[in-house]
Amino acid sequence: MDDERLRGPAATVAAGNVSGMNTSESRRMGATVIRLFAMEAILLILILALVAAAPGFATLGNLLNVLRTVSMLGIIAFGMTAVIISGEIDLSVGAGAALAGCIVAWFAGALSDYTGPAAALLIGFIVALAVGFSTGVLSGKIRQLFNVPTFITTLALFTALRGAANLVTGGFPLTTFPDWFSFFGAGALFGIPFPVFVFAGVFVIMQFLMKYTSFGRAVYAVGGNAEAARLSGIDVYGVKTLTLAITGVLTAISGTLLASQIGSGVGTTATGMELDVIAATIIGGTSLFGGKGRVWGTLLGVIFLGCISNGMTLMNVSEYWQLVVRGVIIVGAVLLNQVLERIR
Amino acid sequence: MTPPAVELKGLGKVYDGIVALAEVNKVFEAGRVHALMGKNGSGKSTLVKILAGAVTPSSGEIFVNGSRVVFGSPRDSFSAGIIAIHQELSLVPSLSVGENIYLGRLPKKRWLGQSIIDWDALHRNAAKLLEEMALSIDPRQLVGTLSLGQQQIVEIVKAMSFDPAILLLDEPTSALATREVEQLFGLIRRLSARGITMIYITHRMNELFAIADHCTVLRDGRLVGTVAMRNTSAESIVEMMFGDVGRAHRPERRLIDRSKAVLEVRNLTRRGAFADVSFDLHRGEVLGFAGLMGAGRTELLRSIFGADPFDAGLIRLDNRQVRKPNPKAMKRFGLGYTPENRKEVGLVQILSSHDNLCLASIGNMSRSGYTNRRREAPLVRKQIRDLDIKIPDPMRTVSSLSGGNQQKVVIGNWLNTKPRVMFFDEPTRGVDVRAKQQIFEIIWRKAEEGLAVVFVSSELEELLEVTDRILVMRQGRIVDEVEPTAISLGDLYKLCMEGVS
Repeated sequence: MDDERLRGPAATVAAGNVSGMNTSESRRMGATVIRLFAMEAILLILILALVAAAPGFATLGNLLNVLRTVSMLGIIAFGMTAVIISGEIDLSVGAGAALAGCIVAWFAGALSDYTGPAAALLIGFIVALAVGFSTGVLSGKIRQLFNVPTFITTLALFTALRGAANLVTGGFPLTTFPDWFSFFGAGALFGIPFPVFVFAGVFVIMQFLMKYTSFGRAVYAVGGNAEAARLSGIDVYGVKTLTLAITGVLTAISGTLLASQIGSGVGTTATGMELDVIAATIIGGTSLFGGKGRVWGTLLGVIFLGCISNGMTLMNVSEYWQLVVRGVIIVGAVLLNQVLERIR
Repeated sequence: MTPPAVELKGLGKVYDGIVALAEVNKVFEAGRVHALMGKNGSGKSTLVKILAGAVTPSSGEIFVNGSRVVFGSPRDSFSAGIIAIHQELSLVPSLSVGENIYLGRLPKKRWLGQSIIDWDALHRNAAKLLEEMALSIDPRQLVGTLSLGQQQIVEIVKAMSFDPAILLLDEPTSALATREVEQLFGLIRRLSARGITMIYITHRMNELFAIADHCTVLRDGRLVGTVAMRNTSAESIVEMMFGDVGRAHRPERRLIDRSKAVLEVRNLTRRGAFADVSFDLHRGEVLGFAGLMGAGRTELLRSIFGADPFDAGLIRLDNRQVRKPNPKAMKRFGLGYTPENRKEVGLVQILSSHDNLCLASIGNMSRSGYTNRRREAPLVRKQIRDLDIKIPDPMRTVSSLSGGNQQKVVIGNWLNTKPRVMFFDEPTRGVDVRAKQQIFEIIWRKAEEGLAVVFVSSELEELLEVTDRILVMRQGRIVDEVEPTAISLGDLYKLCMEGVS
């Protein structure tokens, strides 16, 4: 599908008989354009509508703010995209992000006196990454060895990691960070919030990984038909486990940025974040049945969700209505994708 | 005189210009067990599908109990008193025997003004039904805990609960052990004594003589004849099935060097699937496996390829013993496998033809894991050209291709890994005649280049045409080895069947 997009509808049409194009062909071309760029078009319309309707939406400051907010979500969503394409799910990312922030804060408090704050934070960060990686490997291995769906294991991790995060902090915010540490979550470089750089970097890496490596191609095969992939000599569970481990690592990175932004390690951070991450991935066109989806689509989905909540807040829509609208959007996006599938 | 249970007058079926069934006139007398025989493609499944209402005939008339019927759907056939029992069981393993029998029409009773399920009545009725057929199965037992044979029997009991006049049984014994077959036959005899008419498809000759009153033989969509079982022999039935078959056209084959085997299999055993299988496969050789459904051919190939485990035995590739094969490791050794059910497990249907052609080779193609479609394109083009795959656009999903072209994609996917040994499991199933011939030519050409090939097909003609040597499997064991040039189709069929030799 990706390549079809790259070549674009123009190429698709050029392959046909352009000079003798009749109405049915031009309708098909119209359908192709709609199918390929539906999400882009909808996002564009949404942004134009918000520019017109939401006071203050189109200011640079606000847009950077939107980007900062969606970055935390998006970093994880790119990993989640791979997990869902491989036919699995990870419900533990919100709790995992909280745990990562708390681990970093704990190490900052415990080691700063001996190693200095920079080294303590670095050690904490590395430990957080290792924990994120390991929980991913754990759910992957349990899937492989005991055939327990990742929905179950990551649901268990969802509560267990939340508990662990609060155990690390003792239930109170750990304000152990030196002042300069807030740069990572709240600071800006050349006027652009720092998390946006991480967001962009992760996007490029995941885009490359999913499109230009045999691992990425195996993810699609495994999610599309696990048995066919196995009979083609692909290590099905190795691939699934790796997507979960990558998501664990990205979750740890996002959680550290969140802690830096808040200025402390808090056990209750990122509550419900997993649902936003999954929602953004699905809005971006990734199929929960596996085998289908794009990192690019997830980028659009993440920005879409960010714009919607920001716009509604600016328009003073109540928080309760925002939740309802979001629910409608998730179902709408899935229905839209189903309809687009049928136009051919 | 009672009218016949079923009478067919000039029944025919044409699929896309191809005649599957032509001008069949046939009377099935009531209360008898009628066997239906014929090799694959003879039209017997079409006939059964028409009677079951799943397929509408192109011409002809059907009479049930003397009155004309027109079946537009399985429902119509059902209300005419005909029930078909297929090889795939339609039971829910996690529900009880009784509940399975009455699924969708559970008995109800009133309780506190509400309609609720009457479990006592359900189990009482089921127990009565089972008792009538002299079966000792507890209606409260879960179907999943029963053996396959007992499940098959429950399936028949379920059918009988609708009180049909005619049962269509499509190879009910193909997955059963001998003892279970006996139980099933007991039930069939009892039902026959009660006046139920049965039309029974089988490939097992000994079953015919054990159970059937008459045998009707179809060949190439035409009725060859009907014989009474007590004055016929296995030989004459095989004769009716195959008739005079001309020698298959075979290309000139090069001499095969049998001094050293590429693949050696010794005493390979998987309980319940195959036992004590030994054979050698040589460079450039096309080795065929003949056998009926359930003979263990697919299971054997899957175990060697590492898709399934085995219990005992030895596999050597190029003199190196493979201890625990898995598909990934066997692929590295140069072994490839195209599975029999290509739609389900041979292809990733939602991906493009391009991606499916690179499925097995993505690991090999990319040094350091890097790959892109432009770099893969030459390999994709090569297979499309070599195998003459008709693909309008390799980036379109593979599901848009015809069966033959899909099969070529499966084959091309493996040829891209540059294998030295290939297993082809039913590569011509659901493939048109032209594509079939092309697949044979691909296999011959690759064998000329040194590829060692195992070829499995249920079409015995194909085995005689394609292979250099044929191993015959029966009930999980290799029972014979034959030269395709030195055996007739009928004789090979007799070897595959039990109870003929």
